Parts: sequence; C-alpha cells; structure tokens
Amino acid sequence: MPWRRLLITLAIIAPILWLLAFGFQRDARYINSPLIAKEAAPFTLTMFDGRKVTLQELRGKAVFLNFWASWCVPCRAEAKDLEAAWQQIKDKNMVFVGVALQDTEKDSRAFLQEFNVTYPNGRDDSGKIAVNYGVWGVPESFFIDPQGRITYKHVGGIGAPLVKTKLAEALQGIVTAKEGQGESQSVR
Amino acid sequence: MRAQRKRRSVISLRARALIALCLFSLTGPIFAATTPDLDDRTRAIAAELRCVVCQNLSVADSPSEMAQQMKGIIREQLQAGKTPTEIKSYFVSKYGEWVLLAPTTKGFSLAVWVLPFVALFIGLGLGVWLLRRWSTKKTRLETKALDPALLARVRNEAGTDRPMEHDPEGSSQQSQLRQERARLYADLKELEFDFQAGKLSATDYGELSQEIESKAVSVLQQLDASSGSVQSKTKAKKLPEKPRAEKAGGSKVAGLRGWQLAAGGAFLLLFGLALGVVLTKSLRSRASEGDTMTGDFLTGTGSLGTNSEVASSLQEGKAAFAKQDWAKAIDAFKKVLASDPNQPEAHAYMGFILVQAGHADGALLAFDKALAVAPNLPMALWGKGMTLYQAKQDYAGARETFEKLLRMMPPGQERGEVEKVLAEISQGGRPGKPPAQTASAAANPSEQISGKITIDPKLKANVDNQAVLFIIARPAGGAAGPPLAVKKIERPVFPLSYALGPENVMMQGRPFTGKVTISVRLDKDGNPTTRQPGDLTGETKTPVDVGAKNIDIVLDQLVK
Repeated sequence: MPWRRLLITLAIIAPILWLLAFGFQRDARYINSPLIAKEAAPFTLTMFDGRKVTLQELRGKAVFLNFWASWCVPCRAEAKDLEAAWQQIKDKNMVFVGVALQDTEKDSRAFLQEFNVTYPNGRDDSGKIAVNYGVWGVPESFFIDPQGRITYKHVGGIGAPLVKTKLAEALQGIVTAKEGQGESQSVR
Repeated sequence: MRAQRKRRSVISLRARALIALCLFSLTGPIFAATTPDLDDRTRAIAAELRCVVCQNLSVADSPSEMAQQMKGIIREQLQAGKTPTEIKSYFVSKYGEWVLLAPTTKGFSLAVWVLPFVALFIGLGLGVWLLRRWSTKKTRLETKALDPALLARVRNEAGTDRPMEHDPEGSSQQSQLRQERARLYADLKELEFDFQAGKLSATDYGELSQEIESKAVSVLQQLDASSGSVQSKTKAKKLPEKPRAEKAGGSKVAGLRGWQLAAGGAFLLLFGLALGVVLTKSLRSRASEGDTMTGDFLTGTGSLGTNSEVASSLQEGKAAFAKQDWAKAIDAFKKVLASDPNQPEAHAYMGFILVQAGHADGALLAFDKALAVAPNLPMALWGKGMTLYQAKQDYAGARETFEKLLRMMPPGQERGEVEKVLAEISQGGRPGKPPAQTASAAANPSEQISGKITIDPKLKANVDNQAVLFIIARPAGGAAGPPLAVKKIERPVFPLSYALGPENVMMQGRPFTGKVTISVRLDKDGNPTTRQPGDLTGETKTPVDVGAKNIDIVLDQLVK
C-alpha cells in the first residue's frame, strides 16, 4: 500500500520536474526559424552604389545572404573573414549579398569602407527584408540554393571555412536543418 | 433656347457642386475615422505578437526599433486588405509560433491550454474523493452498532493490568482468537499510553481506539460463539504477558505514519536541494541589458558568470580593482580562476594588475590567456596593446593589437581613444621596429639610471588618469639651466619601471654622466614647464651615479 502511494506521488511529481528541467534547457530568447528548407522570400535590395539586386535574378546560383549592422561587434569580427571568403569564391557560381539593418547610411558606408567589403551590399531601411527572413539578431546569415530554397541558417558570427562549406552544400541543394550559432547581438 | 441651356448648365453646375459638397461632407468623417481605426486595428494585432527583441513584451508595448518596423508591416498589410488572421499567420510563417503571445490551440500547443484544466479537474477530483473517503470511514465507524455490554467488557479488560488468559502454543480457533484479543487489548493500552504522552491528537485517538474496540468486540463475540458457555461472560482469566516483539508490531498504524512522514520529509529535502542546485546553476545575473539570465549549466550559453559564485567573485574583484585594492582584487580573481580556469575577464584583470606591478611579461601571458578563450575581448586587447606599447615598447605588436581592437569597435568615444593611441604609436616610433633610442639604451645599461616609480598610498586618490609623467635628471649640485635629461610618459601605469639614459638628454651632445638628482612629476596639464595644484612630485633624496639601478622614487608630494 505505501509503495503504491509512493508510485502515485512520483507519477505526479516526475512530469512536473521534467517540465521544469525542459524549461531550463531552453533559451527563452532563441527563436528557431521555420524557414529552413522552404523557399526564400523574394526581395529587391537597393545597393549602396545605386543599383538594384533581386533574389529572382540570382536564381541558378548559391546565395549567401548576410544581415549585419555597423554597431554590431560580432559583425565587425566576421567582416574581414567574409570578404576573404568572397574573394576566394566569387567566380564559382556563388553570390554574397549583404543587408544592413537598423543602421544609418553613413555608418553602413563607413563600415564597408573600413573592412574593404566589395560584395554587393544594401540597406533594408524599412526592416521588411529582415522580417521576411525572421531575423532577430545580428549577424544572421542564410544560405540559399540555386532553386531559391533556404538550405542553412547561422545566427551570429560565421567564419570563412563554414561559409565556403555551406555554400558548396547549397550549390548541391543539401539542407542542414540544425541552425548554426556564433556570437550575436539582438537587433534593436 | 440658349438661355434655357445656360440655366440648365448652371443648375447642373450647382447640382454638381452640391453633390461634391455632400460627398465631401460624407467622406470627410469617413477619412477622419479611418486613421484611428487603422491604429486601433494595428495595435490590436501587435498586442498579440511577441516582440522579437525583448522578453515577454508585445510588439504593441515594445519601444524597440524592430517592434516599430513590425507595426509598420502590420499597418501596411491591413491597408492592403489582409485580415488579422492572415497577418498573424504571416508573422508565424517567419518566426514560428514563438511570435504569438497566446499559443494556438493546435498540436503540442494545445497542451498548454488543456493541461491546467486537466490538473484542476484532477485536483478537484482527488479532493472530493479524499473528503468522501474520510467522511464515509468516520460514518462507518460511528454507525457501526456495538454491543454496549461487550464494549464495556473490552474497555474493562483492556484497562486492567492483569494478563489475559491465552494459549500461545494453541492451534485451535479459540486459541487464535484469544491471541488476537490479547493483541488488540495491548494495542488499546499502547494507544492510551501514546495519547497520554501527547503523541496522538484527540481525534486520531478517538478514531483509532474506536476501530480497535470494534475489532475487539467482534473477537469477543466470536469467542463467545465458539465456546458457547457463560464462562466467557464472567471475568476474564489471567493471561501471560504479551511478547514484546508482538507489542511492537501492534503499533503498526503509528509506525507506518512515522515512516511515511520520514520518507515525505526526506523527499521534500532532496527535492528542495535539487531545485536549489538547478536554479543557482541555471540562472545568473544579466551581464548587460541585452543579456539572458539563463546560465550555461543546461543551455551551454554565455561565457560570463557560469554560476553565482564565479559571478559574485568576479564582481568582487572588479570592485576591488576599481578601488585599487590590488590584494583583494587578486584574491577574488584567483578564486574565479580556481572555479573556472578559462574565465577570460579574470585573466584580463590579472593582466592589468600584473602590468601595474611592473610584470609586463606576466601581464602579456595573462592577456594572451584571456584572448585564447575570447579572441575579441576588447579589454584584453586593450591591455595587451598598452603593455606592448608602454612597457615593452613593441610598437609593431601594439599596433597589430590595437588594429584588431579597432576592427571590433563600433564608432564612438572609446574607438576614438584607440585611434588616438594608434596615432601616438605612429608618431612615437616606427611601426615594426623598436625606437632607436630604446635600442641604444638597452645596449648600454651602464649609461642608464633605472628603477621604479610608485605613488604614496595616501595620494592615490589624487592620481589623474590623463596626467603625464616627467622624469627629470639634473646635474648634482643644483646647477642652473635646463635639466640634463627628461623623459615624458603619457598615461603612466603605476608602479612604473623606468630607465633614463643618454637618449633622453635635452641638448644633443651633452654627456649623460656623473652624479645627478632625479625628480619626477605627474603633471595634470602635460606641460613640463609649469607646476600647478594637483600635480604630484617626488625625487631622489641624494644624488645618484649614472649606471645606478633600483633607484626607486615615490610620488609623495602634492602641489598645492
């Protein structure tokens, strides 16, 4: 009889404890993206040189879409690496597109100049592109395959080797469901 | 005809104007009403969406830039004719169901809605069941009609100290019944004793004694029935004393309760301990406004303050460092590193303390340890750069470190400081090579005077971080004219190791030999020709020879 009571007590308490442990294992701020393996939202970005780039016209190429801001420290940390990666792969059917968000044009331009960024970059002044991609931190990077499907998402700073690997995978249409993580900052 | 047409056209014009006026008067309020309505609808939808920047705030309530942009998107979509459901679905498609402040009633989220009610019903059901159980038990005991004569006999026999007659070895039914009777009487006596000793409440005593008495009555009835004699109605015969072991087993109910209480207490204690450990390991104070309070015990996030002990020691160390209480700061940072040998901030602070004590090499090692864990830690980069620049005069290394730091820093005042130091390095020495004067000085230590400059502890509060230190050598004997040699050190860090040599002489070609007096001044305005209130000074008590080492000077005078 006491054993039965003990079992009943444990049967009630154990799920509550499990729920508590489950809650502690989760970072309440982290937002898992529902966009991986889905079609990337189309966008038209006006670049700093005045030209426009659309996602549609990049079909057939693997795209590395990077959201950044000049005030974001991890963005500064990755900037040099990204430019180095771009220099190595720019002629290999792969494209880099940088999107500055929550930033002034002056600061964004200064950032690009400081790190000698040469790949296409523009400013998302309304925040629509960022929301379309479910961005909540900076930097955030999306890899899009030649068919326009998101194959990988990385929240936080990313290194050149991973960019090259994931772009090569995107070119083959290989999807990585698990998001990558690095040092990031929340958007403002 | 023409007049008629003209009149018609005038009427027509008037009619048109009237219609236009009517339309305007009608549409005016409509337009006026559209904006507040749109605002309300935008706000209503925004109130249901979670702000992606802040915790537990709706998009409607959040002042963040992102929330404003999201509100703009909601407004645009409403204007485009989308329904609130469509707009919410749009945000869910981008951020997942996380973005909804109220989870949906589908799939796993349904559990969030259902479980509280399930728990409530289970609780209520359990409560009702327990109440009914208790009440029926009481009623059963109360309503059970007991033969008053037998009950009186039980009470009488149980109350007597004479042992009851029973045959422990007997195997007949009567013998078993007698044993049972003896056991029940013993239970009653023990219960009485416990009650008198205050171990039982009156209610419990009442319930339990009633239960045992009813059993005893039943046993007596069976005994009477089996013997069929009047003998059983007579006074009970003597019984041998009940075995002690059986007596102990007789208090089964009370024993069980004690065991249950002990087990419950132990479980609660363990639960409390486990909860305490998990909570303290899993939560931490936010290092910054944007930081999360979830520690890395379970999530693997964050690098600062992995547990409250480390975090508090780190805070303690920082506070001591700010007060220049080096001993306390060292103790605190050592404690942090004992718990977490890779804590980058503690390494960096140790680096700053070491460089102040004149141990540049140790400081560089500490900064490198910090940078090995956190390659972009600004304070470690700053400390390493300053150590290389000022203490080691490794201009190339300092420049490289500061350039890395500069890449990390967004525009602002702090960035300006780093740029300033970089500019100084460019002016003060050729990058990539140590300055020629240092090289020559290092080659001829016998031509130098070296030692350490410290600050009188009483005057520590008067140290200006922006001040410039001048080390001045004058020929012994108080010769008039300009000093023999002067060395200028901007933003010195004390205790400071110095060396004064021929490279510091004021007039080219003048030899740096013989006996000299050394004076030092921590100058607030950086002008070597003026002394002003607040400057700190110190000097050697007696003239020293060029080539002397360990000529330590204390800044112990305050210019008033």
